[in-house]
Amino acid sequence: MRTYLIFLLCLLQASSSAFAQDKTNVKFGNVKADDFKQTVYAIDSSAAAVVIADIGETAIVGNSKGWFSWEHVHFKRIHILNKSALDVSTVTISLYSNGDQEEELSGLKAYTYNLENGKVVETKLDAKKGVFKDKLSKNRVLRKFTLPNVKEGSIIEYQYKIKSDFLFNLQPWIFQGEHPALWSEYSVSIPQFISYVFLMQGYIAPHIKDKKDSHGNFTVISSGGTSASERYTFTSGVTTHRWVMKDVPVLKEESFTSSIANHISQIQFQLSEYKEPLQYRNVMGDWQAMAKRLREESYFGGDLGKNNGWIGDMIDPIIKEGGGQLAVAKRIFTYVQKNFTCTSSAGLYANENIRTIGRTKRGAVGEINLLLTAMMRYAGIFADPVILSTKSHGYTYAMYPLIDRFNYTISRIVVDDKEYLLDATNQNLGFGFLSPECYNGHARIIDAAATPLELTSDALQESKLTSVLMVNDEKGGMLGAVQKTPGYYESAVLRRKIRGSGLKDYMSEVQKSLPSEFQVADPVVDSLELLEMPVKLQYNFSIPESEEDIIYFNPMLNEAWKRKSIQGSQSFLPGRNALYF
Amino acid sequence: MKSYRMKLLTILLGFLFIAHESEANDNLLYSVMFLPKELVKDANTVRRMEAYEFNLKKPGEAVFKHRYALTILNAAGDRYSNLVVYYDKFFEIKDISGTLYDASGKQLKKVRNKDIQDHSGVDGISLMDDNRVKVHDFYHKDYPYTVEYEVEVKYNGTMFYPEWFPQSREYLAVQQSSYTFTCPEEYDFRYKAYQFASEPAVKREKGLKSYTWEVKNLPAISREPFSPGMRQIAPLVLFGPTAFEMQNYKGNMSTWQDLGKFIYTLKEGRDQLPDIVKQKVQQLTAGVSDTYEKVRLLYEYLQANTRYISIQLGIGGWQPFDAKYVADRKYGDCKALTNYMYSLLKEAGIPSLYAVIGAGRYREDIFTDFPSSQFNHAVLCVPMPKDTIWLECTDQFEACGYMGSFTGNRHALVVDEKGGKLVKTPVYGVDDNKQIRIIHAKLEMDGTIELDVKTRYTGTQQERIKALIDHSTKENLKEYLDEELDFPTYEVADFKHKETKKRIPEIEESLKVSVRSYASITGKRLFLVPNIMSRDGRKLSADNVRKYPVELRGAYTDIDTIVIALPAGFKAESMPKATKITSRFGEYQNDVSIEGNEIKYYRKIVSNEGRYSAEHYKELVDFQSAIYKADRNRIVLVKDENAAGEKRGF
Repeated sequence: MRTYLIFLLCLLQASSSAFAQDKTNVKFGNVKADDFKQTVYAIDSSAAAVVIADIGETAIVGNSKGWFSWEHVHFKRIHILNKSALDVSTVTISLYSNGDQEEELSGLKAYTYNLENGKVVETKLDAKKGVFKDKLSKNRVLRKFTLPNVKEGSIIEYQYKIKSDFLFNLQPWIFQGEHPALWSEYSVSIPQFISYVFLMQGYIAPHIKDKKDSHGNFTVISSGGTSASERYTFTSGVTTHRWVMKDVPVLKEESFTSSIANHISQIQFQLSEYKEPLQYRNVMGDWQAMAKRLREESYFGGDLGKNNGWIGDMIDPIIKEGGGQLAVAKRIFTYVQKNFTCTSSAGLYANENIRTIGRTKRGAVGEINLLLTAMMRYAGIFADPVILSTKSHGYTYAMYPLIDRFNYTISRIVVDDKEYLLDATNQNLGFGFLSPECYNGHARIIDAAATPLELTSDALQESKLTSVLMVNDEKGGMLGAVQKTPGYYESAVLRRKIRGSGLKDYMSEVQKSLPSEFQVADPVVDSLELLEMPVKLQYNFSIPESEEDIIYFNPMLNEAWKRKSIQGSQSFLPGRNALYF
Repeated sequence: MKSYRMKLLTILLGFLFIAHESEANDNLLYSVMFLPKELVKDANTVRRMEAYEFNLKKPGEAVFKHRYALTILNAAGDRYSNLVVYYDKFFEIKDISGTLYDASGKQLKKVRNKDIQDHSGVDGISLMDDNRVKVHDFYHKDYPYTVEYEVEVKYNGTMFYPEWFPQSREYLAVQQSSYTFTCPEEYDFRYKAYQFASEPAVKREKGLKSYTWEVKNLPAISREPFSPGMRQIAPLVLFGPTAFEMQNYKGNMSTWQDLGKFIYTLKEGRDQLPDIVKQKVQQLTAGVSDTYEKVRLLYEYLQANTRYISIQLGIGGWQPFDAKYVADRKYGDCKALTNYMYSLLKEAGIPSLYAVIGAGRYREDIFTDFPSSQFNHAVLCVPMPKDTIWLECTDQFEACGYMGSFTGNRHALVVDEKGGKLVKTPVYGVDDNKQIRIIHAKLEMDGTIELDVKTRYTGTQQERIKALIDHSTKENLKEYLDEELDFPTYEVADFKHKETKKRIPEIEESLKVSVRSYASITGKRLFLVPNIMSRDGRKLSADNVRKYPVELRGAYTDIDTIVIALPAGFKAESMPKATKITSRFGEYQNDVSIEGNEIKYYRKIVSNEGRYSAEHYKELVDFQSAIYKADRNRIVLVKDENAAGEKRGF
């Protein structure tokens, strides 16, 4: 009897896991009155909107341009629970464009459902008049629409298809968004003749992760100008990968984590190989191959290998000043930093050749630092570019040579066996200093060996020194002097403020942060232009004669930081006559 | 005298010689040598020359040329060195050219067309509008340098004429700037000058008339605390049409009434509601007799059934989508939603007036003496025998009839079939904008203080916290409270908010807060600031000579009543004196007393709104500084050894 019971229990368990949901029954257009019942979802009781289903499918198909495209279908249903989330009904679809052609949006349909007198009432988006196109930039086109008849309690749905000839841009999928999702599913069908590396990121284990093999027919039509178009048809094995995440919470942005981009659950793809029946080509290659390509490409290191005599017009006088390689390197760095305007907050490549950059005196991060590298080499200094990904851009993988993961180029020089990492695009950082954004782990030197580099944020420890001196004056007031040497990166912030709006404005800020009876005077800033040093700020202050017998005074002045454990201990200083300790 | 002349002649000859020697494209007039010292003082940029030429061809078409040279003196002036031109179908850019000069006026570079970037200019609020923008930048950094730009724009609509505001910002000096308005002799254009006394020079020839204004050598302005905006202190000439055209619509702007008529024409007949909405209106208002109550019910219906989506295309920037459009889609922009609300009220038999207004928190009022389109928003005015109701139709959360700092206390142009007239929106004063706070506090031996805080915010004082309640989650609200309170280290253990929607909306907040090391203990002494949560942060430096009037915006009253229970065994060593200050800017009082082991503290501040002449600034500094100090007064308590001894005896 006992054995039987145990057996039954096992059976029950087995059958319940066999029934574990591996499909959602949410289908486009199938909204029922019952779907409106739930106004609070267990996943997040304070959610203003819940994504009921977010489902994407991407497949590779042959095209009529002699190659392959991908087609992506996206369906999403959202239940709006609070009017603060009405914004979810305005949808922006971002399409890539290379200037000539752009990804194609088609088959858009979108509906709003409301429950009125117990019945589901649907309102359709007018896809002809209601979809706007906004050319954001050369490479980005936005299609935008907003759903009609949306209010608190509405359920909205939309579906569309994107067709793209840009295989390298295979549609990624973000499982974790601004609102919690009950079901987020993505499947990608990839034929055997194309390989992608899958880059999965995040902390949520997929509810389902599987793959299925099948066969698919591929038809490629190539039209050779005047000659008749040719048509190839072949069959290939296709693997469909599928990921499902259930009950995906919203990722909260925590202070002190490097960047939300590094943490959300998402999957991205990187084209790696073309295989049989196509001609074999390793697109991704290894680090060395990537470095080799970068060193040769005109948009990166191509110009660095050249003689570049034109650089002499700019820096020959600087080189001639002599003083050893390090001194020359510092002068070149300062020259670039002072004379070139950086037009971007990041940048890997040189869209314009470095000679043009030299002439126009402006460029993106990559352009300026590649020019810096070229100048260093011209001066006979051992220099190579280094590529990295900034914190807000996300991590790079030491395993995969994926150039798209990188967004920032700096320069590394070696003088007397010592290595210096240089970024001439930041006006407030000195020779050998990088902004905290650059300290994001793995980076690569683009030399022949593609040497890896680890940039860790431990290098960013800061310390700061403030001293305050006070004496009585003959009239019964007090005079004081403050000397403050902040840490290096706080100095950079101070530099930016003082250079941007002037010492006068900065001091009036200081004045405001002090007790009203304090009058500040005679401010002096040292090392404002000595970028390798922390800034030193000094000023005097005076306190007029007071009617009070005791003056209580906080020696930290305006230095006490909020939400930090450093707290100014209060003590009191002698007033007119009394010594109070 | 003679030698002086000789010298001058030599210099002039020298100059001519230099001019002759240099390239034809250089412009030595832009050399910083010719920059008077008084223009460099306090300046980051100097407008060396500027010529506005507005040429009205006919009432619906104009050509506008703007040429200027700007010298950038330092890095702080850099951000003004670029050229940014917005355009759409009404403003067509015909040509952009420009040149970069070094400090000596030597030409370095010219604008090349391929260096001009073209972006989408969609404003970030709108789903879609027509705006695009062209941007150019020389990216030069060798100071000082001069950029010269010339832009030619064709106006395909003439509702707006460019204004002349040569000194539009702080730290900008103007060496020379002029504005020439040319139009057919028979056309009457209008203008009005502010902070500028000279009359224009007038020329008439070939059936055209042209008026020219010019300024020279304006030193840079640096604004002072609480000084009025630049438009109130720097020279400004506004221009406006009489007859104008905008995409096949003709209007006249000679008077507010005329402009109102035009705005009314654009919205006229757009109030047809579908039957289903009409029935809803009837159903909602059936059996309700009070007009305000009807308005409130319909306003809440609007809030629950529509949302704000901005689409501004062509004349759609001024013409509302009709009521049916909103009824079908349940969204619209300010114009469409205001018109929709108008239609709902009309169906309920309540007449209302469509109104346009300049919206923005504490935005300066329009120039009421110059009819022109100075507005950016639409609201609805429901006239009542007393206490007219104003409705903000784009906000799903606002209390019915409340305008607050976004649209309150300024002029709106209300329109009907007869035309428009200016009406002042409600002013929210010291009795409306309150923060009434009661704190029960318990001080622990280690200096920690436990607070039980109840605060009632009303009027403009509830706006900030209301925005957070409406638009963010409870967690965000907690984050806000964790950051917002003015203590170095504290924890919010619990909080609650209760909102009451009424004409002057109200929010009640309860907080439980624990503040570590609030009081400090040194030896046997304990130091404590009895004013726990309302320390006024405004402190002004006593500037040398005040130039501009003082403008205080946003009247309010704060009252704090605090009871602090002390740990046993302390007695007062030093108690601050009670303070009572009255001034034209408001009044302040505080009072602290100790009874047994309880400290009682009372603080009240009333801050008036208004404009005061410059000579009163010193008074404001003294007033603020006295408050600043009084707010931070502290009590010194000392351990009562005797009492402690007695205690030990127990």
